[in-house]
Parts: sequence; structure tokens; C-alpha cells
Amino acid sequence: MLFNYTIDGFENIQHQDYFALQQINHKLMSLYRSFGYHQISTPTFETYDLYVNEDSIPSDDLFKLVNHQGKVLVLKPDATLPVTRMAAMNHPNSQDVIKFSYETNIYRNFSSPEIIKKEITQIGIEYFGNNSPECDGEVIALAIRSLLENGINDVHIDLGHVGFINFLFDDLAFSDKEKATLFKYIENKNIGDIADYLEKLALPDDKKAIILKLPLLYGEPKTVLKQMEALCINDKMHQVVEKISEIYAHLEIIGLADYVSFDLGFTNQMNYYSDINFKGYINSCGEPVISGGRYNHLSEKFGIPRPACGFAIDLLKVIDYMEQHQLLPRDDQRIHVIFYEKPQKTDAYKIAEQLRSRGSIAEVFLLNETKESQVSSFQANALYKNAALYFLAGGKLLSEHNGKFSEIKAIDAECEVA
Amino acid sequence: MVIRFALAKGRVAKKAIELLIDLGYIFEDYSEKSRKLIFTDTTGTIEFFLVKSPDVPTYVEKGAADIGIVGKDVLLEHPAQVYEMLNLNIGKCKMCVAGFENHPIPYGKKMVVGTKYPVIAKDYFHTKNQLVDIIKINGSVELAPLIGLADCIVDIVESGSTLKENGLSVLAEICEISSRLIVNQVSLKTKREMIDPIIKAFENQL
Repeated sequence: MLFNYTIDGFENIQHQDYFALQQINHKLMSLYRSFGYHQISTPTFETYDLYVNEDSIPSDDLFKLVNHQGKVLVLKPDATLPVTRMAAMNHPNSQDVIKFSYETNIYRNFSSPEIIKKEITQIGIEYFGNNSPECDGEVIALAIRSLLENGINDVHIDLGHVGFINFLFDDLAFSDKEKATLFKYIENKNIGDIADYLEKLALPDDKKAIILKLPLLYGEPKTVLKQMEALCINDKMHQVVEKISEIYAHLEIIGLADYVSFDLGFTNQMNYYSDINFKGYINSCGEPVISGGRYNHLSEKFGIPRPACGFAIDLLKVIDYMEQHQLLPRDDQRIHVIFYEKPQKTDAYKIAEQLRSRGSIAEVFLLNETKESQVSSFQANALYKNAALYFLAGGKLLSEHNGKFSEIKAIDAECEVA
Repeated sequence: MVIRFALAKGRVAKKAIELLIDLGYIFEDYSEKSRKLIFTDTTGTIEFFLVKSPDVPTYVEKGAADIGIVGKDVLLEHPAQVYEMLNLNIGKCKMCVAGFENHPIPYGKKMVVGTKYPVIAKDYFHTKNQLVDIIKINGSVELAPLIGLADCIVDIVESGSTLKENGLSVLAEICEISSRLIVNQVSLKTKREMIDPIIKAFENQL
């Protein structure tokens, strides 16, 4: 019988990667903290009811379980909803400014393809109670800086606004099915098929011309703003243009505008985004690593109307990129390994404790074979590749170097870095 | 910066390469018999490689290629997160249900369907509420109904001559198929100044 304990879509994280993950996590949390965000955590399980009425995540993508009371639970498929609920429960005053940051795993039961990760490590922020362009600007700025701080300079943010298309479509009386089809084509920038589809619809030609231009509304912000201005057919669309240009102006002031371009072809695939939404890319990495936006109506679900804006980073995707480009922080602190002969056990443990008290890593083992074979077996172990080996034998303290042993007086703090 | 093309092996790739050459790119080392995997043009700005058609969306989605040229049938069967920017109107054909003319589709009764396109077949029959068992077949799909493996097939039909020779005919048309130019979602934004002219050039060739 063949045993295979691997589950598709789930992975172990190796020690070097986990070290890097913790370092990056720490760096990002300090960054968010310096902007006043408080780190919080929500449970791994959520009630199924929380997500079943939410169009943003298909019910098939949820991992469902039944608890002993017969209640249906899901493994949390998203961080924003629980964080919003937490803010609503603990801060009933809807005018309150609340800034939360989080690091969590989320779970999606994607049916295909099998290689897609189903456990996703997300780091992100949610900013509640502020509807100003400065708030949007801060959230976008932190998304950019999250990557910059980790040495990734090829950062690119695509900023859009779901309102632009929605307010246009509000005036055009499409059926839900027509809307869904057009959204899909616009999102895919499938201009050829939009044209064919529009042929069949009863719509004035000038309106058709506007829809055909939507997929091309992307690129250099100032150019796109001009193009958008020309397509507005109602006040609400004008307001969208104004809002998005204010956000861009804010980003110019704080010096991050160069990382931003526009794409108004985003429709709201995450249905709770009501306003701006954005995606963060790394230039040579084929998939987005950051996703965010404003969701002003989500909190109403929990009884507290409250504007909010936030983003999440797919941390493991970022780590994959950093690994390929040698940007990962490495764990290179030297391990001191002390082997002792029985009579010198007290000394061995004393030395180890001294090393630890000054911040070094120290391990102690009983020497039960020859020094040479001990050395070769430890050097073959990847976890001890850079370890410094010492021997307490025959009343002497020996240090090993390139297979040779030399007597030393004490283990000094020599190079702590391997 | 280099723009990479992933092309689906076969007739469509030949046409796509002809299009690229018409646009003024020169591929010195390319010939149909060459066993090289990647071809670069003389200016070093364009590269292309040939892969099996279902792999094209994968290469483009993952960013290993910036642009891909592949049939709509593949995009329907293997959906990918890519921008489907141009209908090139080459390699035109139809996705059809085919079977024996005197045995029309028995709506309301379970039926066995042989196909290379299980996703497309399933979607089609589900929207019609037709009960089906789908058998995935990798080639010579027309054989399946002839030897009783399936009641009908779902396949692309160009001229219909293979069907006719085997006594089969089209029972229903599912959709039109043609080659599409797809673009990686990140490349379109980050390499815009290089990709835009290429798309424009393709558009003008249509």
C-alpha cells in the first residue's frame, strides 16, 4: 500500500522561509504601527451564515464543517469581513476612527487547478471611519511601502474605481445578465467580443461607443483622467473622476505617485468594494500580490454604518518572489555546538548557559563516538551547516576548524554570523 | 526589455509568425524544421516559443510569456486570468455537437458524449439541462460514436468533411471559435509602451 500524506493546495514552510516570513511580518507590523495601526486577530472559524449572503466568495470555495451543535462553520475565507465585524462589535460609535492590522491564514477550497494554494497567508490593514481621499492615499501608500521596505523596488499599483462603470450602467437599464456579461468582457479587456455583444443590444450608438472605451481606460493617470472626463454622462461619474484625481494628488504630495497607474476596467469581483479598488504588482511577477479598496457598505451588515478602506498582501507570493531575487532575510546566526565527555558535563552546561546569556545560540551533546565522526555527521546535516563545533574532552576545550582540533581557553563571541 | 510570445503549435502559429514577419520583425534562426525552442528577432525585442495549445494560457497567466496566441476553444476549456484583447479572426471554426443525423439529441434521456473538451461539453449540456456522461477522449473523437463508445461528440468543426466521411453530421452549434491574442495582466501595465504598438499592429493587420 502506498501512503501519500500530501494534500493538494497545502504546503509546509521550511525553516529558512519561516524565519524570513517572521522577519518580514515584524518589519511590516512595525511599519503599520508607526502609522497608528493596532494588530488584532480573529478566530480561524467563522459561521457559514456570515458568508452565505455575501456574493464576494462563491459558496463552493468555502471549507465547511459542522460543530457539535449542528452549526455550520467555515474556515475563514477572507480577513476583511471578520475584522469589520470585530470593529462593529467593539466600537459601536460609527464616527470612531479605527485602524487595525492583521496577519492571518485564510482558506479557499478552489476546485481547480489543483496546484493553486488553498491556504493563503495574508498581511493587511483596515482603516475604518474615514472617507477622505487622504485615507485612501494612506492605505495605497502603505501598500506600496510594504513592498519597498522589503527591498522590492519594481512596485506597481493599478488604481480603479468600481463606481465609474456602475454609475454609467445605472443610466443604461441593462438586465442583470447583460450586465454580468459586459462586466466579464470589460474585466478581460475583450474588446472584440464587447463589440459583437453590443451589436445585439438596443442601445444608442453614442452609449455603445462609451462602453467600448471602458476597457482602454488604463495607464498614465493624467491621460486617463482626461479620457474619463470625456466619457462622463452624469454627475456621479464626474464625482468619481474628482475623487480619484484627489487621491492621485495626495500621492503626488507624499512622493509615491510614480508607482501608481490607473485602470478603470476593474469591475467589482469582490462585491463589497463600493468605491476605489486597487491591485499591487511586482513588475516581473505575473500575478498581483496586493489587493485592496474601499468598502463603505460592508459594516452596515453588522449594524454600524461606517466607511472603510484596506488592503491585503499575499505574503507567500511575495516571499517566492524575494527568494528568486535573493532578497530574503537569511537566518545566519551561528550555532555553537558543544560535545562533552561525561566527567566534564558540568562545564559543558555552564559554558552553554554563558553563551546563551549573551545572546548566542548554544547546544550541548554527549560525545559518544570519535570527534572526527561526530564532526562529519553534524556537517552532513543541513541544519548545522554553519555551526561552530567544540569539544570538552580530556580536560581540554577544543575548537574544530576544517577537520583540525586546536585547544582554546574560552569560546569567545567571535563571528556570530556564519 | 523583451516581449515574449507563446504560440500554439500548428497552423495558427504559422499564421501568427507570418504576421510578426509582416510587421517587420526578422527571425534569422527560425525555420519550420528548426528544433530550437526559443526564437529571438534581430533587434532582440521580441521572442517567441511554440508550445502545445492548452499550455499557452498557462504560460501567459503565470507571466512566463507576455502575449499568447491561442484558440478560443482552449480559453473556454482552460480558463485563465488573462486579458483577451483581440479576436484575430484566424483559425475560424465552430464548436459543435455531432452525431448520427437520424439520432437527434435525445433531450430528457441520459446520453454519452465523447469529447476533447469536457468542460465546454459539460457547460453546454448543463445549460440545456441535458443529462450526460462525458468521456474525455484525446484524439480521433469521431471514432467514438462509430464504435458505440458514445452517442455523440463535442468537437471543433471546420469544413465538416471528416464528419461527413464518417457518416456523422452536426446536430447543434455551441459557439464560434477563432484565435485570440491574450496578454498577461501585469505585462500589459508594466510593459505598456512595448505591448501597445504590437497590439495596434495586429489590429491593423485584421
